Amino acid sequence: MGSSSSRLDRVPGAKDLMEETGFSETNILCLYDRFEVLDREERGYLRLEDFEAIQQLAVNPIGDRIIGAFVFPGRETLDFPSFVRVLAHFRPTDTTWSRSGSQPEPANSRTRKLRFAFSLYDQDGDGKISRAELTEMLQAMLGMQVTDEQLQSIVGRAIQEADLDRDGAISFDEFKKSVEKVDIDHKMSTRFLR
Amino acid sequence: MDALVLCLLLSAYPLGCPGLTPPAQLPQPHNLPPAPGSNGSHRSLSVDLPMALRVFSVDYHHVQAPFEIVLWIMLASLAKLGFHWSGRVPAVVPESCLLIMVGLLVGGVIYGVRHSAPPTLSAEAFFLFLLPPIVLDAGYFLPGRLFFENLGTILWYAVLGTLWNVLGIGVSLYGVCLLAHSSLGDVSLLHCLLFGSLIAAVDPVAVLSVFQEMHVNEQLHILVFGESLLNDAVTVVLYKLFESFLRLPSVSGLDVLLGGCRVVVVGLGGLFVGLFFGLVAALTSRFTSRAQVIAPLFVFLYSYLSYLTSEMLHLSGIMAIVTCAVTMKQYVEANVSERSNTSIQYFLKMWSSVSETLIFIFLGVSTIQDVHMWSWPFVCSTLLLCLVWRATGVLLLTAVVNKLRRNAVTFRDQFIIAYGGLRGAICFSLVFLIDDFPKKRLFITTTIVVILFTVFVQGMTIKPLVELLDVKRKKRALPTVSEEIHSRLIDHLLAGIEDVVGYWGQHYWKDKFEQFNKKYLRRFLIREERQARSSILRVYQELERREQRGDEEAPPLVDPRSNSRPLLPEEMDSIRRILSRNLHNFNKRQTPAYSRHTLHQDATMDRTRKPLHRHQSLGDRYTYNTITHWPQVEDVEFNGSHKLRAGLSRSHTVCSISPRHVLQDTSAPVSTAQTAPADPRSSSATADQVSPQHQTPGGRGPKKQLSFDLESEKK
Repeated sequence: MGSSSSRLDRVPGAKDLMEETGFSETNILCLYDRFEVLDREERGYLRLEDFEAIQQLAVNPIGDRIIGAFVFPGRETLDFPSFVRVLAHFRPTDTTWSRSGSQPEPANSRTRKLRFAFSLYDQDGDGKISRAELTEMLQAMLGMQVTDEQLQSIVGRAIQEADLDRDGAISFDEFKKSVEKVDIDHKMSTRFLR
Repeated sequence: MDALVLCLLLSAYPLGCPGLTPPAQLPQPHNLPPAPGSNGSHRSLSVDLPMALRVFSVDYHHVQAPFEIVLWIMLASLAKLGFHWSGRVPAVVPESCLLIMVGLLVGGVIYGVRHSAPPTLSAEAFFLFLLPPIVLDAGYFLPGRLFFENLGTILWYAVLGTLWNVLGIGVSLYGVCLLAHSSLGDVSLLHCLLFGSLIAAVDPVAVLSVFQEMHVNEQLHILVFGESLLNDAVTVVLYKLFESFLRLPSVSGLDVLLGGCRVVVVGLGGLFVGLFFGLVAALTSRFTSRAQVIAPLFVFLYSYLSYLTSEMLHLSGIMAIVTCAVTMKQYVEANVSERSNTSIQYFLKMWSSVSETLIFIFLGVSTIQDVHMWSWPFVCSTLLLCLVWRATGVLLLTAVVNKLRRNAVTFRDQFIIAYGGLRGAICFSLVFLIDDFPKKRLFITTTIVVILFTVFVQGMTIKPLVELLDVKRKKRALPTVSEEIHSRLIDHLLAGIEDVVGYWGQHYWKDKFEQFNKKYLRRFLIREERQARSSILRVYQELERREQRGDEEAPPLVDPRSNSRPLLPEEMDSIRRILSRNLHNFNKRQTPAYSRHTLHQDATMDRTRKPLHRHQSLGDRYTYNTITHWPQVEDVEFNGSHKLRAGLSRSHTVCSISPRHVLQDTSAPVSTAQTAPADPRSSSATADQVSPQHQTPGGRGPKKQLSFDLESEKK
């Protein structure tokens, strides 16, 4: 690890990224290595096919949505800084950051994490999880084990529990409220270590 | 109730117990001069008839052994009944204390009446008969996911913590002995280390019995409990090590090194023995469909066999039996009938309860000894050192381990871990096994004092202290449906992100194991199960029934009425059951902490969950099971384009699986993957989804179920 500084030079904009996202040097280097592995054709950016080539992602029930968080219509190519910015949401939460500070909210704060999760549900981006979107998500996760009736009843219950203003859809604040007992900081973090 | 107990006590007085060290023989009542024709050596009371024929005779000798055993067990069980009858007492005083007090009482009575020491608990009886049921019960109901998540920390505490305690206590006791040279001069360092090794071990029995009455959060519970289970390997090895050192003329560095290797061998050896027997038991249970009544027996036989085998090989018996139980549980539950499952669970609870009660009573009884050797400095310093070393050990280890854990072990948790390190019957038995030497009596006395102190003082005060420190209590509220859905989503999300990053996070190994499990183990060890169909049917009918109670029409679509209808707990239960059954089992938060006395409701829910898992195997050829991430691809046609596979992997069929599918669609695997669009169309398909489930295979039911509609999923 002695030559890490010279290795860091390979990574474009590494210092700014580290500052912006809070990743350490090791993390940036690891992520860059991974980026290069994914970018098999060495284009310098990632595309949809590169993500689809990740085998495990293909069988993940929400794999396509996860990919969609990286690469979507409007951003078909993904360069390294954007890659890192998306992944910054999954850093373990810094306990020292306080809301009142002048710095912008870091990507791995609880609210930002929840927003990321919310965006997986909310495919049309209207800021609400409609019944249809929730149904789709549940179908993806439950697969074929439940009948449609069961599915509908589950979706109904979920909306009933969360929907406080009775508009038939779940807004972001309602979503936040419904998971307030879940330890998001723990669940939505992964250690970027090798 | 008390009168009954008293009668038993009085009747217990002439009795010893064959499993215990036999007391002095009572003088037998003299026989009458043997009548002609009667057998002179046959000692029995008889009616004073001159003739040979005896109308009424009592032959106690004939049944002595089982009779006495049964009476002791009866005493233990009645005592237990008695405690729970009075509601307030168990809340304040843990059951273990009460049982020890009963034991003390019985021991005192026996001593007073017979003027000699009452029977003591023999180490053999303890290790061979009393300990295995408890550990088996603990292993069978072990919350697996939680245990393995915290395994690193548990091992850290168990191995290093025990080592720290043993060496610390041993060396400092030796220091004390040197200081009090006059009275304790002949206790050598090795003796002190030996004593340290047996007194340092936290006892699972005692810990369980106290902790279950407190409801601490699951993580803390599993840490202390797991540690007490796993430190058996270290304790036993160190104990035997020091004992063999005592017999050796001299101890070299090589011996110490070999000792270290032995720890690893003992631990891993026990593990493998347990694994082996667990898998064999699972395999055996696969074939029990014709003789379901004896199916539970195999669980007990194989577990006990694993225990005995590892004891025979001088490996860790506790580790073997726990591993065996954990291994075979999921396969056995899937293979045997529901009644057998219930029997297994109830028998486990019953045996472990009886065992635990007996252990504590005998601890009390054995305390009344003829010869106690007391030494103030030794006893007091042992007590003090136990507490001090444990506290410092926990503090130090936690400081290190917190850096590596995501969920830090808080200071309050650390206090509970340190304070909850109770000693119990294992120490007691081990101290009796020491080779005789002048100060053995002192060791025995000290051990008894330490056990009584930890169980009484620490056991009774831990609950108030917990309340004082406000340990994060186990959340009693069940998660809502939304919480569960979102949690699962986040789990899937994290698994995906970790795949993107290429990081072998905790999900990776779990998924890998699940894949291996699914592909090989389950196929091999679990038989085709008919029950699955009926359980889907059952759940669905239940759900349907409940909804028909509230609504007039069956399918609950977007229904304004549903908003106003309050959530019935049974509805929530069935929904939760469905969710937890079908979503990837990342998080079984509903699993309650281990409880000695009751089978929680969720234990039965586990059972209904399992058949559905297996039922997947019927549809495996066609579907991508979301239970594991792994496609069970068997048809070559599936190796089509990536996109198509991706589309299929997220396919969702509307109907549930039934054997019919297997027969119908062999020619068109792709078509079974249906995509069900959102609500509007589904209402038409919902109508008769359930009824064909139990139809015989071969008949094509209502075609509505199979809407062959393969849409592209790309948005």
